[in-house]
Amino acid sequence: MSQPSDTGRASPRVTVQFDHPDRRYEPQDAITVRYRIEGLDGERTQAVEHSIAWYTEGKGEEDLGVHFFERVTDPARLPPTSNGGEFAARLPSSPLSYEGVIVKLRWCVRVRIFFQASRDFVSEHVFDVGRIPPTRVPPARSP
Amino acid sequence: MSTAIDRGDATRPSRIPANPFATRHTKPGAVAPLDHGGTPLDLPRLVRRLRGLRAAAIEGPHGRGKTTLLTALADAAGSAGTPVAVVRLRSRRDAWAALTAIVRAPAGSLVCIDSWERLGPGLAAVARAAARIRACLLLVTSHRATGMPALWRCETTPGLLAAIVARLPDHGGRVSRGDVVEAFARHDGNLRESLYDLYDRFERRVREPTAG
Repeated sequence: MSQPSDTGRASPRVTVQFDHPDRRYEPQDAITVRYRIEGLDGERTQAVEHSIAWYTEGKGEEDLGVHFFERVTDPARLPPTSNGGEFAARLPSSPLSYEGVIVKLRWCVRVRIFFQASRDFVSEHVFDVGRIPPTRVPPARSP
Repeated sequence: MSTAIDRGDATRPSRIPANPFATRHTKPGAVAPLDHGGTPLDLPRLVRRLRGLRAAAIEGPHGRGKTTLLTALADAAGSAGTPVAVVRLRSRRDAWAALTAIVRAPAGSLVCIDSWERLGPGLAAVARAAARIRACLLLVTSHRATGMPALWRCETTPGLLAAIVARLPDHGGRVSRGDVVEAFARHDGNLRESLYDLYDRFERRVREPTAG
């Protein structure tokens, strides 16, 4: 999903490259992510945050765990001087990615760009940890 | 601070597409408040009306969007520079948090209390008196009349549910207009339960493509 900014400005594009092209990792694997930011249209940035996190998704309350976080404020590492970056971490033993019916657990990397004009942009990219197969549901009776 | 989110590849490499009816997409703050016809509400106008009333209620039965509107109005007032405090009453034991928020509120600030009826009549009267003394604005949600003017009465229609669904992430054609109408009718206009119903239909169809 892409939500346009409510300020009417063009949204930047963040492309991410995982060191595992299939985006599948095992618990305790090392993960390295490279990213590139495009489409800033000259808008000035204050900071870029990198995070590796998991979240639950489903019908109930959501949960979130941040495994890795880094905030970059050095102008030499920010656009327009640098239009990309890299970050790395070692994944934990758990929780594992899970595709349940009522609840799912997803791992993701996020690149968050803070602009000087009091707005920010979050780009989220999902990957898998572990190999739990998706839950199946019995054939539907109705609807 | 306004935040734009790009989850363009949120479903890769996951084997199951993301469910657009999950709480993260439908919770208050994630969905814009709409009127019964599906048109976005004029939030600045409602905030101005609230300033004139000083204390007002958003009324409606369960699952009609009261908290969604409360959250949006709190954000709109906050964006306009008004200090805002929001208290959600899960039980009467949270009454102290509501009273504390009012007593600590600066003059001209906005205190939002979700599920006002949980205060009970006595504490509600105390809270209203405290808000008057502190000269703060008071906005509450309630299932029934509060004695305060109604800023908005939340009513739902199948068209409203369809408008909400149209604003969620793409469901890939897995939910039809008939599903929306049926879910709305099955849950007597309760949008929360209707969206849970659509969540279940989506999950079933995405895992068993021949079903439904």
